[in-house]
Amino acid sequence: MLEASGKRVYSAREIQPRQWLAGRMSGRGRTGDEAEKEQQATGGTILMKSLKTLVIAAALSLGAVGVGHAQAPATAPAEAPVAATAPAAANPAPVAADAAAPATVAAAVPAGDATYVPMKPTPGVGQPIDAGIDFQPQVSPVGEQAYWFNHVILLPVITIITLLVLGLMLWAMFRYRAKANPVPSKTTHNTFIEIIWTAIPVLILAVIAVPSIRLLAQQYEPPKKEALTIKVTGYQWYWGYAYPDQGIGEYVSKMLTEDQAKASGEPHQLAVDNRMVVPVGRQVKLIITGADVIHSFAVPAFWTKMDAVPGRANETTFTANKVGVYYGQCSELCGVDHGFMPIAVEVLPVDKWEAWVRSKGGNPAGPVAAVPAAAAPAPVAAGAAAPAVTPAATTTEAAPAAAPAAAPVATN
Amino acid sequence: MTDIAATAPAHGPAHGHTDHAHDDHDHDTPGFFVRWFMSTNHKDIGTLYLIFAIIAGIVGGVISGLMRWELAEPGIQYLTGWAQFFDPAAGEVQGKHFWNVMITAHGLIMVFFMVMPAMIGGFGNWFVPLMIGAPDMAFPRMNNVSFWLTAVAFIMLVGSMFVPGGSGLGAGTGWTVYAPLSTSGSVGPAVDMAIFSLHLAGAASILGAINFITTIFNMRAPGMTIHKMPLFVWSVLVTAFLLLLALPVLAAAITMLLTDRNFGTTFYDAAGGGDPVLYQHLFWFFGHPEVYIMILPGFGIVSQIISTFSKKPVFGYLGMAYAMVAIGVVGFIVWAHHMFTVGMSVNLKMYFTAATMVIAVPTGIKIFSWIATMWGGSMTFKTPMMWSLGFIFMFTVGGVTGVVLANGGVDTNLHDTYYVVAHFHYVLSLGAVFSLFAGFYYWFPKMSGRMYNEFLGQLHFWIFFIGVNVLFFPQHFLGQQGMPRRYPDYPEAYAFWHLISSYGYVIMAVGVLIFFVNILYSLVAGKRAADNPWGEGATTLEWTLSSPPPFHQFNELPRIA
Amino acid sequence: MTSFPAIGRLSPKAKTASLASALALAMVGLGFAAVPLYDLFCRVTGFGGTTQRYDPVAAAADPVVLSQTVSVRFDANVSPGLPWKFYPEHPTDTVSIGARDMAIFIAENNSSKLVVGTAGFNVTPTQAGKYFTKIQCFCFTEQRLEPGQQMRMPVLFFVDPKIMDDPDARDIQEITLSYTFHPVDEGKKAS
Repeated sequence: MLEASGKRVYSAREIQPRQWLAGRMSGRGRTGDEAEKEQQATGGTILMKSLKTLVIAAALSLGAVGVGHAQAPATAPAEAPVAATAPAAANPAPVAADAAAPATVAAAVPAGDATYVPMKPTPGVGQPIDAGIDFQPQVSPVGEQAYWFNHVILLPVITIITLLVLGLMLWAMFRYRAKANPVPSKTTHNTFIEIIWTAIPVLILAVIAVPSIRLLAQQYEPPKKEALTIKVTGYQWYWGYAYPDQGIGEYVSKMLTEDQAKASGEPHQLAVDNRMVVPVGRQVKLIITGADVIHSFAVPAFWTKMDAVPGRANETTFTANKVGVYYGQCSELCGVDHGFMPIAVEVLPVDKWEAWVRSKGGNPAGPVAAVPAAAAPAPVAAGAAAPAVTPAATTTEAAPAAAPAAAPVATN
Repeated sequence: MTDIAATAPAHGPAHGHTDHAHDDHDHDTPGFFVRWFMSTNHKDIGTLYLIFAIIAGIVGGVISGLMRWELAEPGIQYLTGWAQFFDPAAGEVQGKHFWNVMITAHGLIMVFFMVMPAMIGGFGNWFVPLMIGAPDMAFPRMNNVSFWLTAVAFIMLVGSMFVPGGSGLGAGTGWTVYAPLSTSGSVGPAVDMAIFSLHLAGAASILGAINFITTIFNMRAPGMTIHKMPLFVWSVLVTAFLLLLALPVLAAAITMLLTDRNFGTTFYDAAGGGDPVLYQHLFWFFGHPEVYIMILPGFGIVSQIISTFSKKPVFGYLGMAYAMVAIGVVGFIVWAHHMFTVGMSVNLKMYFTAATMVIAVPTGIKIFSWIATMWGGSMTFKTPMMWSLGFIFMFTVGGVTGVVLANGGVDTNLHDTYYVVAHFHYVLSLGAVFSLFAGFYYWFPKMSGRMYNEFLGQLHFWIFFIGVNVLFFPQHFLGQQGMPRRYPDYPEAYAFWHLISSYGYVIMAVGVLIFFVNILYSLVAGKRAADNPWGEGATTLEWTLSSPPPFHQFNELPRIA
Repeated sequence: MTSFPAIGRLSPKAKTASLASALALAMVGLGFAAVPLYDLFCRVTGFGGTTQRYDPVAAAADPVVLSQTVSVRFDANVSPGLPWKFYPEHPTDTVSIGARDMAIFIAENNSSKLVVGTAGFNVTPTQAGKYFTKIQCFCFTEQRLEPGQQMRMPVLFFVDPKIMDDPDARDIQEITLSYTFHPVDEGKKAS
């Protein structure tokens, strides 16, 4: 019975994402094919191919933003001219000498970036609310289960126990005050009642333990192979995110200043410059580590928290079932700016997420099959394009990041 | 215990001797310097500990006041200015570092230099020998060494705030001193000083623990069997064992921190094959028993007071005593619930969840036994009783949120948030501190020979009670909303409850002021206290002596039937 | 305490105090002993994702290769003090459980001086540590890189088929093998 009511809460919340998302979610496998088709449709050189893919995808997502989610597929052709102009700008790239290429590519990339517009947060979701007293609304199955466990089992139990103790105390204070009961009894033990108040707490704890253990089991279910893997690194005092399978090298996420946050309509102390972006409804696996001292990656709305310990990888997962922006904050004392390295996770519809991935120079299709050395034609393009395509990437990650840019060619 | 009430007195010899002791009081009592600086008298050392704890409590309390002041509004208002008090060149970074120094100092001072010295050093020293009918502690000189080590440790900790500790002056590592923030993350002597201060305080406590164990095992008056000892003595005995077993592990852990910092070892440094998580395991192997070290003597104090003011022996004496033993034992096998988010396997988390919840059982036995002690009693509501009743209720609130946090799955969200802050302040600031005030009012007449002012005592209780609840209850809300600990600044949305919480601090501070007024007034102008001001309910041996007791008591041992 | 013949002649107080002191000293010892014990515990149980090392002498026979596969992800980190680039050749690989597999990690020294590094490692999920067995690994020894030198470093491993008998571990679909390269500071010695 307990479980049933728990599931009910869960499914009621799950319906919330816009209906078309359901289609996107179930058709997750299709996304790879789509990406390929888009690439086949555009001809040209290798570099142009990937650039066009990028620009078209960007245009697609721009159209989606402008016209609305439901019409997204329909608007794509209409926006095509926009896409056509962009490659024109990029045209000189293959022609030009090596030295010129990075510059033009760099010029084209901001055009792609512009099409990804950071989403505005929804008030009251994914962030604390003014004078709020409850947990933040949970958008992950684990969070819903945990929230249910707390509110349906723990909170009532602890409230009843506290009130029981208070009630017994007040009653004893009233009934056995010196005036009302001048002669104290000499009772010093009562085995029966002592057994009762040992046994009943044991039973209550046993009842609590069952859903508690179940919740832990759910949290620790090994992630699926298809989960989106994101590498999270805690630094003093910012976060680094990388998407190894999408070929997005590590980019850095820092807190916005108060003015910047105000300008972007986000809460100060929570807003960041580069968010972690994930697709809705898809399991996300975080590989978390710390670079210098221990940090802790936490997003309250996902019921997720995991320490980032230097020299060691930790793993945790979450599945966000609702589009939106969700904030968290570093949760392990890490030095001076411990309070100033927030976390922002943007949950996007799958197609927009794919557009974001492309805007980052990555390939949303998934694991990169090609080895840099094996993708024969790739290194030529990658050599020139690498520094520009992944401007956000740190030098450490530049080389692996370049490979994915060319990867679609190899998979064709 | 059951019949100690009726038969404890041993009036004849003890009393006769008391008068005699009064007579040679003058030539027995050493001069001021020898008496207070080279003291070997358990009561004098107890008094020193209490004065020390009050001073440390003021320092720790002022620090928390500064923190609540800064947190009253979003934004960083005062930190830089405060940091400039220590270092005129301080800027914003030093200001933020000063925040971390304050949270570290507040935690360490309240744990090591306020609660522990007051509970064990103060009341333990004063009343364990009196309650078991012993003339003094087993090793009076060692007792003195313990006190002065603690005092030096405190001076070192305060001193560490004036030397460089990384981003600014002072150690900003949190009281947990986690590596690598405390090793490679904090350059400068401040952290070394703080660690060394912990070494000294730890050594002092270990010496104290040996002293208490020896005293309780060997110096009980004839007839005072283990199972007739007052519960306060039981609680100190269990606490002494916890100290003896837990503190050496801390000493080892922080010694390795020191060598990692200064001598190039890599116990906690992954670069050399060490593991920062090992430090956390060692720290919490000490840290969890440590919370019981802080609360168990409080259990003992409250048991005495409830019994006294209900005019009834403690209900279920054996259950109460062995519940404390059980809490102490189980307290050693639950430590990893402080590190649920460190990345441990699911089985381990399940174990620590279950083991932690088990502690609720003996704790529940204690709570219900206190209520049963009141049940059928003839209760009067003097100040110590009010504090004890407040303790029971507030400790219950703190205890049940502990059950929530014990669930590894729920802790994922609440770990390191204000919910945890609220939880441990309910069990410590409203639990341990309430029991300290209870004990202080209860034994003040015995220690000083004068009655405290009942009206001021009641006023202190009610204002303090309201204050701490306004202060800490909203922190549950902040934690559930996601507010992390140890933050000097926060998003706008948390402002409301932070402001309320800061108001709570002000109310509480007014209560503390009344406490000081009460002490000063009562010491100067309080009514003379009778040997036993609490009447027939107060059955333990200290009430058979004069108030204050003679410099040396029980030269002829009392005999317990 | 039996080694002190004098204890029998001590006063009861001194006896209790000596026993208590011995207990405290034993706990100090235990605190320090925790370092090797923790290390041993991790290696034996795979606690915290500690991997196993293949011992050709102890291993009676090569493990049976099962038809089930598991994905292995390779994760590479460089500690801030090390001027290296370090990354896996492939981010993931699918291996048959029980079968030997080789992964290549690539390290490049970006600095203008010779740098010695050593790698720490673990696997996630942590319960996979007990079954992740390394036969050969660059992490067993220090690595020296000349300025600008690039090195391909192999790790030879297999996933122990016993993983299929462990209810906590058999559902694992992907094991992440993570390395962090640290500079070798001549002053610091492994503890």
